Amino acid sequence: MTTLPTSRPLTPVAWEGCRNSLAVIVAYLPFGLALGAALASTGVPKLLAWSTSPLLFGGAAQLVSVQSIAAGANAVVVVLSTLVVNARMLLYSASLAPHTAAWPARWRWAGAYLLADPVFALAMGRFGRPDRGGRAQERLAYYLTVGLTLWVGWQAITGAGILLAGALPAGLRLELAAPLTFLLLLLPMVTNRATAVAAAASAAVAVAASGLPLGLGPLVGAAVGVAIGAVMGGRNA
Amino acid sequence: MRELAILAVIGVGTYAMRAAFLGPARPEPPAWAARLLAPVGPAVLAAITVPALLAPTGHMSAVDTPAAMLAACVAAVLWWPTRSLPLALFGGLAAWWTAGWLLALG
Repeated sequence: MTTLPTSRPLTPVAWEGCRNSLAVIVAYLPFGLALGAALASTGVPKLLAWSTSPLLFGGAAQLVSVQSIAAGANAVVVVLSTLVVNARMLLYSASLAPHTAAWPARWRWAGAYLLADPVFALAMGRFGRPDRGGRAQERLAYYLTVGLTLWVGWQAITGAGILLAGALPAGLRLELAAPLTFLLLLLPMVTNRATAVAAAASAAVAVAASGLPLGLGPLVGAAVGVAIGAVMGGRNA
Repeated sequence: MRELAILAVIGVGTYAMRAAFLGPARPEPPAWAARLLAPVGPAVLAAITVPALLAPTGHMSAVDTPAAMLAACVAAVLWWPTRSLPLALFGGLAAWWTAGWLLALG
């Protein structure tokens, strides 16, 4: 694709990406600190626990993987249950692809590494506008600024959480930071009957199966929810 | 180290899923995949969110469970009209702290 010389500079777009990301980083502070503290309390060596931040770049998967390693689950169970938690990344990738097709291939492959929940939410919020978030270069500049800002923020917050694990005041109860953050990721995804039923069925089964060992409850719940949602979505289509 | 190898495998698998459609610039997933993918996000997030809200400290309790339910409602009510992540999150946490404190008094 040939484009005319850039008429508008990319700096304003990058600044906007930076500003939008800072608001998200503030909202992720409680979850990131709580996650760091939870990772530190599993007995897994601290540096190894923190390595999940660059390796996985996604709080839910980091929590699940380190908890199941600490619970003594075998390698196959740890890998499978974490990848199921992250299966939503396939959905993000498919939803974003039409907006990124005009980017140079190396940036598509590199940018994929940054595709975490809040990066997807901010990018789709902008690319879903009537002007599709501007030219392809502007979309790329926005996506990379958001991704890199959130990446740096997340490495720092989770690292601080691990280091401060014993030092946070006992009265600062952050147990709810993770589920509240996940709830606020879930709400925008419930857009029709099929997604609402999928979420409700999945939640009900996950609660009923919460006695299962190795953290398999959410896995069973998610499988039932996806099956019911796919059947309903297919019937409406 | 064995754990690091496990985490690295998960990291590679996660990257593969993130890149699955972005990298090759596939404009649309096949119809059957789109049908299966649509409910994945809500189902996975609901499965990890709701049990954690019902048992915030690992088990249901007369203080923590209702406080967490109230906090979730406050977060949802704040999020709906504003779509503001920080407002909804800190509002929910404030409700969790306040309700926990009040219920513990009572």
